[in-house]
Amino acid sequence: MVDTAQFDAIVVGSGITGGWAAKELTEAGLKVLMLERGRDIPHQTGYDTEMKKPWDMPFRGSGDAEEWKREHPVQMLNRHFTEYTQGHFVNDRLNPYQTAPGTDFNWFRSYNLGGRSLTWGRQSYRWSDYDFAANKRDGHGTDWPIRYEDVAPWYDKVEEFIGVAGAAEGLPQLPDGQFQPPWALNAVERATRERIRQRWPERVLTVGRTANLTQPLGERGQCQARSICARGCSYGAYFSTQSSTLPAAKATGNLTLVTDAIVEKVDYDPATNRVTGVRWVDSKDGTRSRAGARMVFLNAGSFNSVQLMMNSASEAMPGGLANSSGVLGTHIMDHPSTLSAMAIMPGFEDVTTYGNRPTGVVIARYRNMDEMDGEGHTRGFSFQGGALQSGWTRGKREPGVGVDFKDSLRPPGPWRVVLVAFADCVPRARNRLTLDRTKTDAHGIPQLNIAFAFGKEEQAALAQAKADSAAMLTEAGGHVIMGFDQPGAGGGAIHEMGGARMGWDPATSVLNRWSQAHDVPNLFVTDGAQMSSSACQNPSLTYMALTARAADRAVGLLKENLI
Amino acid sequence: MSQTEGSWQRRDFLRGAALLALAIGVPVAGVSLSDLDASEAPTDRQREMMRRVSQAVLPATDTPGAGDVGVGDFVILALAHGLDGTREPAGSAEIPWAVPQYQRRDGSVRYVDWLEGTLSRMGNGDFLRRDDAGLHDLVARIDAEAFAEGADAHPWRAIKGLILLGYYTSEVGGSQELRFELTPGRFDPALPMGPNTRAWSSDWTAVEFG
Repeated sequence: MVDTAQFDAIVVGSGITGGWAAKELTEAGLKVLMLERGRDIPHQTGYDTEMKKPWDMPFRGSGDAEEWKREHPVQMLNRHFTEYTQGHFVNDRLNPYQTAPGTDFNWFRSYNLGGRSLTWGRQSYRWSDYDFAANKRDGHGTDWPIRYEDVAPWYDKVEEFIGVAGAAEGLPQLPDGQFQPPWALNAVERATRERIRQRWPERVLTVGRTANLTQPLGERGQCQARSICARGCSYGAYFSTQSSTLPAAKATGNLTLVTDAIVEKVDYDPATNRVTGVRWVDSKDGTRSRAGARMVFLNAGSFNSVQLMMNSASEAMPGGLANSSGVLGTHIMDHPSTLSAMAIMPGFEDVTTYGNRPTGVVIARYRNMDEMDGEGHTRGFSFQGGALQSGWTRGKREPGVGVDFKDSLRPPGPWRVVLVAFADCVPRARNRLTLDRTKTDAHGIPQLNIAFAFGKEEQAALAQAKADSAAMLTEAGGHVIMGFDQPGAGGGAIHEMGGARMGWDPATSVLNRWSQAHDVPNLFVTDGAQMSSSACQNPSLTYMALTARAADRAVGLLKENLI
Repeated sequence: MSQTEGSWQRRDFLRGAALLALAIGVPVAGVSLSDLDASEAPTDRQREMMRRVSQAVLPATDTPGAGDVGVGDFVILALAHGLDGTREPAGSAEIPWAVPQYQRRDGSVRYVDWLEGTLSRMGNGDFLRRDDAGLHDLVARIDAEAFAEGADAHPWRAIKGLILLGYYTSEVGGSQELRFELTPGRFDPALPMGPNTRAWSSDWTAVEFG
């Protein structure tokens, strides 16, 4: 056991929230150790496939399916997983997890510097009080101890730093932010927006709010409209740890970064009721190390932060670190999602686009706001998608061979609109994480066991979303050709969250309103584990805002010697 | 099948890979033909078949055809590595066109053998002796059968899909037949389009959602 230096703070994880914690804490003058379980991927020079063309790749970007089936049977189901990006995802064989009987859950992970900030979808939406008050209103889960006004200034801060391109729409359910100029809607989307609005004024189709720069920001360049972000972007044009928070943290001179360091335990001292440091395994040589700190931020990713707290059980805390409530691991969520409608859109045969816009469109939630008009559910759903012209792959579905067939695939194909629903996931105690006591990973660390199933509320929301989306696209002049109302496997939205929920009451929640453990004042959990409800928006912006807010609080408490 | 044709040796794999690399610029180190079991290795006749069938699907026009740019060997490689689900078991009910001799023990289809057998049967003899028009007719008949009502799982669909993949992700197919720009630099939301407008093979959304 190597006992290394003492730090002011240790941040476990280097993804979207770990980067923010490191930035905020180092900029406040704290000496910070950031531990990343995966390999280093340096900004710019580490993006090996960024400039590759399909014909540069052994399998033309489609990947070696036989290898994927062996090494990446879960990750290969992620639509961002390609031959170009597979190095940014875990090897499933080497990183196993278990699922409970009846659970169908795909856990998509990136164990590398930057975590999933390298491959995320970049959609950045504020939550509103329809979301923060949702649990209180319908009684599911526990009431959030915060409301929109608590988070709003932190949304401002985060948006200004990461750069979010978006259009202000004045919607109470999807509050406007500090936006860079929006990406443009294409001609079909503009028409669809107007036709929907004429019939249903409360249903607003707007361009996706995305963390891709439409203007340069500091050292970061403007987005080049490639839409190959998950390969890594040497322009620094989308928000990632590498492009954004890590350079800021490093610039302070206060950051120590260690990669290939799998944190297995957080040490707790019952005499002081404080965590005192963390222990980790070097993934390359198996050596074990420890570092001490005055406080610990867990940013390992929702499920891994919970796993770490469970694995840090001690004589004083036999049920897991900071788990006097017994709810650690419970109420996990992921957005139920499905392709609600796809429609062919005639009438736009004379128009096309140039460049790859790195975002789609969103139709903001409109159900169950001031009027409870959901059928069989009490929360919201929203749509993401867009209008696109089909490409050469349409030829796979079409008959024909020879010159005429080849010529038919030369121009862009018909326009179509795709709407994918994301619905609220009800927080349920039965959807939970536990440690598997019989199965460990290669380093002897217990594997996580996931028990998860969507319920009738999610089914009802997606059923209504299917009917609504078909009606909207028909109204917009489209011919609906398909649509689904059943969610895919859990984890499919890659928004797994919860497990160390925030709440008012230490008896029923793990964290207080500052993302701080009720039980252990110098322990903060600021990734998705802290979430008490799911909303139907993408959560990463909220994770970032809550992290910045928690870091500010932690620094204040530290300076006052209260932690 | 002769002894020679049936025993695709390691050096032949590497030679094949080198030829493929010359034809379409794929780095030899990245191609894994050498991993193939001998039983999965194509014969020279099968390679010629796949080259000519690819060319029949996407012939030379004002740009080279699929066979011209090495798509035949790419399809063989892709099938060996299971691209587009081609190493997944296929129930016999789903593939009434395939007789057991074309299925592996795990239920997956040996597409190359199936195509060779099917063309031989339809062609009443050595289909490779046919000229391009004659071979086109055979391929067109298979295609018509595969896209008939209710024929969704027809083996030809997988082969045709891989021919398209091989061609439009080759440098010729992707950047001459279609257009390619890795770094557009901007997004124009509305541009006029006419009958001669060529699609962008680098429109990843279009490729993904077809």
